[in-house]
Amino acid sequence: MGEMLIQLSPKQAKLKEELQEYFEGLITPDLQAELRDPEHFEGGGPEFKKAMRTMGADGWIGLSWKKELGGKNLSPMEQYIFVETVMRTGFPFPFLTTESVGPMIAEHGSDWAKEEVATKILKGELFFGIGYSEPNSGTDLASLQTKAIRNREGYLINGQKMWTSLANFSDYIWLAARTDFEAKNHKGISMFIVPTNDPGFSMTAINTLGDVRTNATFYDNIHVPESHLVGQPNEGWSLITSQLNLERLALVNHGPVEELYKNVLSLAQSTKINDNQYLIDLTWVQHNFAQVYSGIEALKLICWKQTWIMESGRLNMAEASVAKVYGSEFFIEAYRLLMEIMGELSLLKNDSELSILNAKLERMYRTASILTFGGGTNEVQRDIIAMAGLLMPRTR
Amino acid sequence: MDFSEMNHQGEIRDSLDRILVEHCVPENLKNFDAAFKHDAELMSFLASQGYLGLGIHEKYGGSGENLYDLGILFEKLGFHAAPLSLIGCLAEVAQTIQKFSEHESHQALIASILKGDIHTSAILEPLNQDPENPLTRAEIAGDKLTITGTKYLSELASISKSLLVSANSDEGVLLVLVDKEHANVSELTTTANTPAFKVDFDGVSIDRSAIIHAQGRGLEALKYLLQTSMVMRSYLALGITEKMTALIAAYTSEREQFGRVIGSFQAVSHRAADCFIDLECLRLVSQQAAINLNTNHDCENDALVAKIWAGNACHRISYSAQHLHGGMGVDKDYVLWRYCLLAKECELINGSASQNIDRLGLNITANQ
Repeated sequence: MGEMLIQLSPKQAKLKEELQEYFEGLITPDLQAELRDPEHFEGGGPEFKKAMRTMGADGWIGLSWKKELGGKNLSPMEQYIFVETVMRTGFPFPFLTTESVGPMIAEHGSDWAKEEVATKILKGELFFGIGYSEPNSGTDLASLQTKAIRNREGYLINGQKMWTSLANFSDYIWLAARTDFEAKNHKGISMFIVPTNDPGFSMTAINTLGDVRTNATFYDNIHVPESHLVGQPNEGWSLITSQLNLERLALVNHGPVEELYKNVLSLAQSTKINDNQYLIDLTWVQHNFAQVYSGIEALKLICWKQTWIMESGRLNMAEASVAKVYGSEFFIEAYRLLMEIMGELSLLKNDSELSILNAKLERMYRTASILTFGGGTNEVQRDIIAMAGLLMPRTR
Repeated sequence: MDFSEMNHQGEIRDSLDRILVEHCVPENLKNFDAAFKHDAELMSFLASQGYLGLGIHEKYGGSGENLYDLGILFEKLGFHAAPLSLIGCLAEVAQTIQKFSEHESHQALIASILKGDIHTSAILEPLNQDPENPLTRAEIAGDKLTITGTKYLSELASISKSLLVSANSDEGVLLVLVDKEHANVSELTTTANTPAFKVDFDGVSIDRSAIIHAQGRGLEALKYLLQTSMVMRSYLALGITEKMTALIAAYTSEREQFGRVIGSFQAVSHRAADCFIDLECLRLVSQQAAINLNTNHDCENDALVAKIWAGNACHRISYSAQHLHGGMGVDKDYVLWRYCLLAKECELINGSASQNIDRLGLNITANQ
């Protein structure tokens, strides 16, 4: 074993540079304009779809997929760098479709799913909404009630899902449904590919505080052939949980907050508050920046270490939960500290010439609150830390 | 990217644990609660086993220059609440001389430290918020220096053979080795009964050869000394807070109220989980700072970040531990109280979190 090394390798640094250059070319002014439209924050517009196809053609989709499935089999560290670089640009890359659902379908799907679905995901031509949560099944996801009843031709699906983000422009829903009603909770769940153009599919928009649109989706007697089942019947839970750590880590990637820190720092350095002083000269402003800086350093190290743990094929449950809790709560604190620096100007949306950073700060703070409960609520994460990290008794 | 420790580092960790767990039993620690807190027996044992040479170059008989290794020693001294205050001697004096001295006579002092002798530092000054700019003066006249000033929180100064002193002069900042006999040393009583002293220099005249660094490198050497001190104190804090967190987990897993162990209440386990998160952050920023300081002698921001986390973690974990232990936490027949007092010293020495946030803020916002 060599000396402990806490930095990117030359190869990793080069990948980061390559990605940065690539995205500079990809994100055109037209795409930027489209992404500022609340309707298209999360993608789905024509410019977004064009960019995704370009990325597919250039081989930038499916980086985490195994080589034999058409992917690049990048290591967890390289994937982290990819996520970091994409998120810094603000491009709403559909990670869940391409890096979670895609490889699962490519590996466990039917022949139809592999040929028709997985291939098109790699080309950037096809998108998924995730159908996990239900009105009465959130944190306790295994209690979900959407039914898929086996019949001679396949499965008949009935039920309702909540927070089905991206469903409004998705081709399919990656749907968790109950197939065994006798088995205990998580043992009776199966995964399906459900087409959104089925007449039994419908949705209503849920407009959120962050202006991000999500959906309630309804499944009324939707019939899918057996080829739409992914994996074995009643073994869907392991597919849901298999990439949870990687997904959680992507949620708390340090890239976006560091980018925002840099943006606000250079703004404060160039903002005059009187004839002799810049905003940056105020002591309390410096203190806020220092708080954010020392928090980002810890977040970066936590994420890198967690990625390194995955790289070596191990799993450390407590540390994965540390990343999720610390990151999500730090974001909220960091956005607050940065907004304080710009003061009331932080409140302006980008319809004003006075607004700062195209109102990026105003937009980001509003979307931060979902991360403390989304992706595995922090109460459950703290339970895991106490049990797995401190070997304390299970909470009742 | 590689967060794994090298084989020898795991061995140091394990063998230090074995030595210290045996030596730092409550009956022994009690002997130092009110007396002069320096366990000479433990000190000579560590010397005889080569542990004082951690982080020291092989040419002086050490195990190799690596602050990460030295960090393990401080982490373990903290974890076991060992009655040894060695940051002045091992981190500040030995490391700074190793990096900046070109005189054989100064280098000889490293060998003396490895044998178990104390040579400590006299750097901090009452009410001086900026240790890089000492109030203590060194007047230069020909080959002689005359030193005047007051230092404090100098560890083990009463039994130290020499003192490494920071002073301002017409040539800028100097680091000077002064024989203890020339200084006026008086004992202070601190919150954790650390053997700390006030040291007065009343026009002490010494040879110019007492300056440990090349001409013009005094500030650089002092900055390195202060950063090394901050990082090693962060490791000390890491050991202290690790122990407090382990005590929380153990105690709340046994203590029963309302017919169940209190650790099974979410309010309790979540406060413990927050300690675990603070601890993990402190560990990582300390490791980063030690590794970077190995290859780059000026990593002030990394050192500041480590010490900021150390200050915050010491404060938060100490009070969580006291609270979750109930009355046991403050009972002097239980072990926790010593750690709480040590945590407060670690929190404040080398700059409090607020003071270091101020400094870090200045550094990162300076217009390039």
